[in-house]
Amino acid sequence: MLIRDVRLLAGVFLLCLGACANTPQTRSLLDSSPGDLPRHTELTEVPYFAQEAFQCGPASLAMSLNAAGIEVTPETLKPELYLPDRHGSLQVEMLAATRRHGATAYQLAPELNDMLREIAAGTPVIVLQNLALSWYPVWHYAVVVGYDLDRAEIILRSGLERRQILPMTTFEYTWARSNCWAMVALPPGKIPETAEETSFIAAVSALEKISDPERVQSTYLAALNRWPGNLSAQIGVGNTAYRLNNLAQAEAAFRQAAQDHPDSVAAFNNLAQILSDQTRYEEAMEAARRAVSLGGPLLQTAQETLADIESRMKR
Amino acid sequence: MTQKYSDFMRWTSRVVILSMLVTGLPLQSAFAGMVETDQAVANDLAGQDRARINAFIDREDVLAQLQNQGVTAGEAKARVNALTDDEAHNIAGKLDQLPAGGEVLSVLLTVFIVLLVTDILGFTKVFPFTKSIKR
Repeated sequence: MLIRDVRLLAGVFLLCLGACANTPQTRSLLDSSPGDLPRHTELTEVPYFAQEAFQCGPASLAMSLNAAGIEVTPETLKPELYLPDRHGSLQVEMLAATRRHGATAYQLAPELNDMLREIAAGTPVIVLQNLALSWYPVWHYAVVVGYDLDRAEIILRSGLERRQILPMTTFEYTWARSNCWAMVALPPGKIPETAEETSFIAAVSALEKISDPERVQSTYLAALNRWPGNLSAQIGVGNTAYRLNNLAQAEAAFRQAAQDHPDSVAAFNNLAQILSDQTRYEEAMEAARRAVSLGGPLLQTAQETLADIESRMKR
Repeated sequence: MTQKYSDFMRWTSRVVILSMLVTGLPLQSAFAGMVETDQAVANDLAGQDRARINAFIDREDVLAQLQNQGVTAGEAKARVNALTDDEAHNIAGKLDQLPAGGEVLSVLLTVFIVLLVTDILGFTKVFPFTKSIKR
């Protein structure tokens, strides 16, 4: 027994020498902090829900969603997130449950700098930490609500602590063990400061699958404002308009997409479908033929649309 | 349920899903004729059909595993429904190994001492009563 303990302690010592040797993100941030990042920020208005046993996932998400203006309690989220036998919640389900409440779920890049930028922009950030060690994990979700570069501190709503202050280095150790996993829950129309174009639009299209098209459309429109001419966002505006039965808006969106991206099968196919729904078969046929001629992975859909228009014309 | 039986069920349902996919009957969406936005986002779909079949298998896998982990059948279905194909693919087959944030603390004495020390050194933050010497 004693030998085992000694061996374990020796192992831990070596592990610490290796794994705990540095906190590169904190160091680079403190050494040369970007001029446009405020020295300190704290989102004091983010509500606090104390965590019940094992319920840091639902509690953290409830804080984030409420901060985004979506009223929900940890109790509501528990059946959507919690895995009884694992005594915890999975990362992808944190994202999925966010969408179930109509918010955009966006996973941030694994950068401390990006996280602080989101907080400076007013969005609290959910993080996954391993509070213990890689070989003895204690996984924990918390909400980062503030930071102070001068004091090198991170401020969190965590577990039973309404305002937990961690040295930035300690935070980085615990966060790096989850590969710096961080996410935000955003209300309709809002885009993260640090959003990357393609992954953000993918996050919105994931929300479109299960959410109210009107809310999602406002986010696509905001995305087009930030990244003018983005094809997927243009298609998204068209598709949500179609779901809302606004054919004129849908047509305009697909025409714009087809004009900006003359090689997009999706744009021409969906334009053809919209025109066909309005019994404007000649125009529809032209768009559908164009979609088919472009080929690619969506060819089959385009061919079906074309065949459908042909059969409708015969009726 | 024995392992063998659940394997049998899993494969049976896969065969059923595949045959449904092939005949295409229950998959007609209300959005017929349109290319969905997520299809337009994923431009690297070499073979949409294969991707679709894989997605169905992943989802069915996750659904079974959620129920194995104690989630009720109805809720498991809603939870799988909220996942994207990529997310379902990333967790299929490993729900029992992925990090599950929940802060479970049942620490052995040795580990307790180790963690106490690492807490004080600021490498970990397990115990609410520790204060790191780190700045």
